[in-house]
Amino acid sequence: MDGRTLFRAFRDGGGGNGMSELVRLTGVTKVYQGGITGALNGMSVTVERGEFTAIMGPSGSGKSTMLNLVAGLDRPTSGTIAVGGTDLAKFSEAGLARFRRDHIGFVFQFFHLLPNLTALENVLIPAQLKGNPAPERARSLIDQLGITEIADRYPARLSGGQQQRVAIARALINSPTLLLADEPTGALDTHSGEQVMELLGQLHRDGQTILLVTHDAKLATRHAARVISVMDGKIVDDARLESPERAPSEVIRVRGEETSR
Amino acid sequence: MERLSLKYGVLGLLKGEPLHGYEVKNRFEAMLGGTWEVNIGQIYTTLQRLERDGLVRPVGPRGDRGKLVYELAPEGQKALDQWLAQPDSGPQQLHEDIYVKLLLATRIANGDLHTLLSRQKRAYLQRLRDLNRLEERARRDGRVDLTRLVRGALLHTEADLKWMDELSSERFGTEGAATE
Repeated sequence: MDGRTLFRAFRDGGGGNGMSELVRLTGVTKVYQGGITGALNGMSVTVERGEFTAIMGPSGSGKSTMLNLVAGLDRPTSGTIAVGGTDLAKFSEAGLARFRRDHIGFVFQFFHLLPNLTALENVLIPAQLKGNPAPERARSLIDQLGITEIADRYPARLSGGQQQRVAIARALINSPTLLLADEPTGALDTHSGEQVMELLGQLHRDGQTILLVTHDAKLATRHAARVISVMDGKIVDDARLESPERAPSEVIRVRGEETSR
Repeated sequence: MERLSLKYGVLGLLKGEPLHGYEVKNRFEAMLGGTWEVNIGQIYTTLQRLERDGLVRPVGPRGDRGKLVYELAPEGQKALDQWLAQPDSGPQQLHEDIYVKLLLATRIANGDLHTLLSRQKRAYLQRLRDLNRLEERARRDGRVDLTRLVRGALLHTEADLKWMDELSSERFGTEGAATE
């Protein structure tokens, strides 16, 4: 199947300016031979276009498996996964690779940059694979992510936070429909982690749909207004959080110790 | 009833400069970033007790009550230094109802705590969200004190959430709770 025609409809947003469905999992299972860790046990959920959703759960709960299946990196044992209304099972291996290249941006915990390419060259890889080298877009992404000065350096000379920014720029170069991030702050110190999450928040405000796997609820709830909890390969909670303006005293109450006098 | 840290908060604020009651109230609330509101009556009561105990003293003539300015007395300076130097020890303070609810629920809900835990977890997630948004505003407005308080609250709530997760993965038998 041809990815370009299939996805024209959802790339254009379906015409509505309200929320519309982008991802749908229906009864998805994934069985791994020889082990149960990461297996999915019948998962059904939809994600709307423009949402920033955090997926949380203990290690081995299946949250990364879920992300890999949505990314088309792996296929489910049963059930269907539709992205933009198209069942991923319809794709051949080559079609799935095109789907990933054109519609999915993936950010990993350990960056996965190619060591013998500069930051800029790393960012350009997906565009070159698409046959659409986009040096201007790469430059503008690099500027937007605050890594202009290090664009010509090799990954070994970059800090973790800088490497992750490069990885985010690479994930965004083909303007993906969906940005998937698997523990993107997991290998970073607190400060760099916050900066990376701030970037994801900014991308979301600019309209990017994001699915984030994390174990850091503190960071996740900073930008994601929806938190899906996964346990034993199932969704055990799907919380949509409110975002009202609250006075400090409605959020925190400081009290000293009482003393009778 | 008196709050111990209000007493020392007042002493600490007077260390900088002599203040009258309303100034103490305003500065105290500003320092706490609006997370602790005190009424002016509490401030006057506190100041009177501190004066009685020789920790503060009025400056100038005693006139209109609201205008009476207090300064830190040497005894007050000593008490403040001691309090500041002493770490908070003593028992861990667990104020929220969830602790008792949880123990009761293990007895009466026949070990099925899923609903309680997942509702509480949602409440904590919402709290994290609210705290994050407050922190964002506090940072943007350059309110360092409030930012620090919110960071502390965020980490506390994160710990509460971890506790919910730990309990969720635990198997609650009736025998464990009933035998104590």
